[in-house]
Amino acid sequence: MLDDVLSPARSAWEDLQERLHFLPPFPDELDSLALFSMLLIVGLLIGEWLRARLGWPKVVGYVLAGTLFGPSVLGWIRIEALAQARPIADAALGLLMLEIGRRLDLRWLAQHRELLRAALAEISLSFAAVFLFAWGVVGLIPAWAAAAAAVTMAAAPAVVLLIVEESGAQGQVTERMIMHTALSAAASFVVFAVVVGVVHAEYSDDWLSCVVHPLWVVAGALIVAWPMVLLSLLAASRLPKRSLAQIFVLVATALLAVGTARTLAVPVFLTLFLMGAILSFSDRERTLSYTELPEGHWLLAIILFVVVGASLPWQDFTWLIGLQALGLLLVRAAAKVAALVWSGGGLSIERRVLVGIGIQPLSATAVFMAYEIAGLYPEIGRSSLSLPLFAAAIMELGGPALCRFALVRAGETAATAGSERGVA
Amino acid sequence: MSQAIAAFKQSQALSLGVELELQLLSVRDFDLTRGATDLLGSMDYDGCFGEIKLEITESMIEVSTLPRTFVDGIAGDLVGLRQTLVRQCARNHIAVCGGGTHPFHRWSERRICPGDRFAEIYQRYGYLAKQFTVFGQHIHVGCASGDDAIWLTQALAPYLPLFIALSASSPFVDGEDTLFQSARLNAVSAFPLSGQCPALRDWSEFLEHFSLLQSCGIARSIKDLYWDVRPKPEFGTVEIRVCDTPLTVERAAALAALAQSLVRHLLRTRPPLDTQRHLHVARYNKFQACRYGLDALVSDPVGRRQLPLRQIGRQLLAVLAEDAGELGCSAWLELLDASLSVEVSDANWLRRRQACHGNLNEVVREAAMRFGRPEHTPCAEGSR
Repeated sequence: MLDDVLSPARSAWEDLQERLHFLPPFPDELDSLALFSMLLIVGLLIGEWLRARLGWPKVVGYVLAGTLFGPSVLGWIRIEALAQARPIADAALGLLMLEIGRRLDLRWLAQHRELLRAALAEISLSFAAVFLFAWGVVGLIPAWAAAAAAVTMAAAPAVVLLIVEESGAQGQVTERMIMHTALSAAASFVVFAVVVGVVHAEYSDDWLSCVVHPLWVVAGALIVAWPMVLLSLLAASRLPKRSLAQIFVLVATALLAVGTARTLAVPVFLTLFLMGAILSFSDRERTLSYTELPEGHWLLAIILFVVVGASLPWQDFTWLIGLQALGLLLVRAAAKVAALVWSGGGLSIERRVLVGIGIQPLSATAVFMAYEIAGLYPEIGRSSLSLPLFAAAIMELGGPALCRFALVRAGETAATAGSERGVA
Repeated sequence: MSQAIAAFKQSQALSLGVELELQLLSVRDFDLTRGATDLLGSMDYDGCFGEIKLEITESMIEVSTLPRTFVDGIAGDLVGLRQTLVRQCARNHIAVCGGGTHPFHRWSERRICPGDRFAEIYQRYGYLAKQFTVFGQHIHVGCASGDDAIWLTQALAPYLPLFIALSASSPFVDGEDTLFQSARLNAVSAFPLSGQCPALRDWSEFLEHFSLLQSCGIARSIKDLYWDVRPKPEFGTVEIRVCDTPLTVERAAALAALAQSLVRHLLRTRPPLDTQRHLHVARYNKFQACRYGLDALVSDPVGRRQLPLRQIGRQLLAVLAEDAGELGCSAWLELLDASLSVEVSDANWLRRRQACHGNLNEVVREAAMRFGRPEHTPCAEGSR
């Protein structure tokens, strides 16, 4: 479609080139920087428009922009262009995963056993419900059913963090949503590593890969994350706390970790999550505890969600797979809400249900995780993981709205219109 | 709708009660956080040390002791309330601390608590209600009659600078050193009915004055009077409202001891009052105490001179020694005497920590730790 639009321009350009020899060949691909800027502007405009007109979270607009202009619909963003933008998307996801890792506070769980019980219940019920649905109802083999469960069991840290930040939310529902998101992300990464080995065992006789690949995923992420934490603390300890220079140090070491993880073929999301978690535990002098990510990470997040939107395989959509994805989301939602209703000490049932609704988003981490596993055996993996991918695709649009609904309903957002608790 | 003033409830003279407004903090960055309603909702507490209740914004929580005869009883309640709050806050992933202001919070991020009265205050005062996220200690002293309560509102007025200086714990606002020892009262003074109680002689004159305010539409209930000292007819007390919430409950108890001893002394000696003349210097003296703390020079309108507040404090504590002994709270006053001798005020402590860390998040974290752990307390004389 894009070729049809461009062909007259290409002919005119080539005519000119015959007379003006200094002209470069017709640019078949956009320069990376130009592409980056285009994605930013388009995502931003759609996100802001949806926010202003319909009150939807901006993230939905970014994903819609990617879906619309991506290979599945208009095709203006080609698969090669997506590969070009991937480092920026990785950087954006990495920074958000670093932040959710930093928010993981196990001391809180130690002081609050009922919360720990709720977290464990939420993690195990979500995994079990999705696994049983994918295996028993959809008919996937156990290895792919486990992969589907690993990909979809956790809430999307990137979406939850951005919605919390966008709505200026504070309170117990917010705190617990972040805690459950961080813990379930950690659990899903462990399951993900195991599933990598299980998938190898299913399709390969190479036992070395079955054992070493999962170890490489975890150990590689640790090998990258730990030195980066030490480096960031060493550099930051020489600077004033919460200074701009400290922010640069934090972002620079995080990007170094992203780059190193990409080089070593270790999942970026796992590496940066570990970096955040280790930073949170090892920063005894609270050197970087108060240093926040710069506002600029929003710009990177826009690219991330446009890329995620463009990566969704809508061209493979069938009503059957759509219904199966919907079924998966329903059992997943029921598992999360049921776990929180069963335990969640100190909060009323209504507010626990809101926590359960708030942790429904499924997004970038799930999509990237699915592609990582599918990439092991591409000829089989892509079709076997279309179930969690379409579940993620549906939740890309519904998840942010559910998360925002929970926060507004809990009365914890900064904006107050329609809020039931308190004023202003 | 206007409310008639309740009849002055007769209470045991010199009984005590203390209210503290406390800060609720995020344990991630030690900024204020919205958490009061959830905290109260999740609390399993039988009220054995007094009440825990909402204040104007979601980042504040108020504790009030039971009425007690001795300061030791007040201290016991405050310690119990502190333990209850610290424990429950930890379960809610927040922290609690003292101090008159939060050093760096942004008032526009505050949220008014649910409730008709809070909504009405927000409607009436607009952004001032959110800026009222400051934290004070109120000390109630029981009075035998409304006339005594009104007389004490006048008699206590000259001593208010000392209460301000001894409790001062709010040197930072909006992330800046204000150069004040207590910047909290600047937020209170924006309200139209704040400041000094007018020169009133007795309860009937107070009722007449309040009726005038009501008929002119200035005040609807006695809660609209943000006076520095005011009668509280429902409790049968006179209420001193100028103190910052100290960084520790032990200091809060010591301030209650000062109030109790001073009221006993005043009621016992019944000194002649020169209210009109004191009203001329009251605002200036309050400013001096807020700005300079114990290093202030305050005006004596009777002697037509300036006096160092620290010297006034020392002389007063010496004068109150007999009353404090009778009330069993001498040891609590010694705590205050120590801070008159050496520079150990809460405001100075906060400044020293800031000089050490260069980071207010860290200062608030240490203040929260200090609030949560027991400090040395005087032996329980009053319980005998």
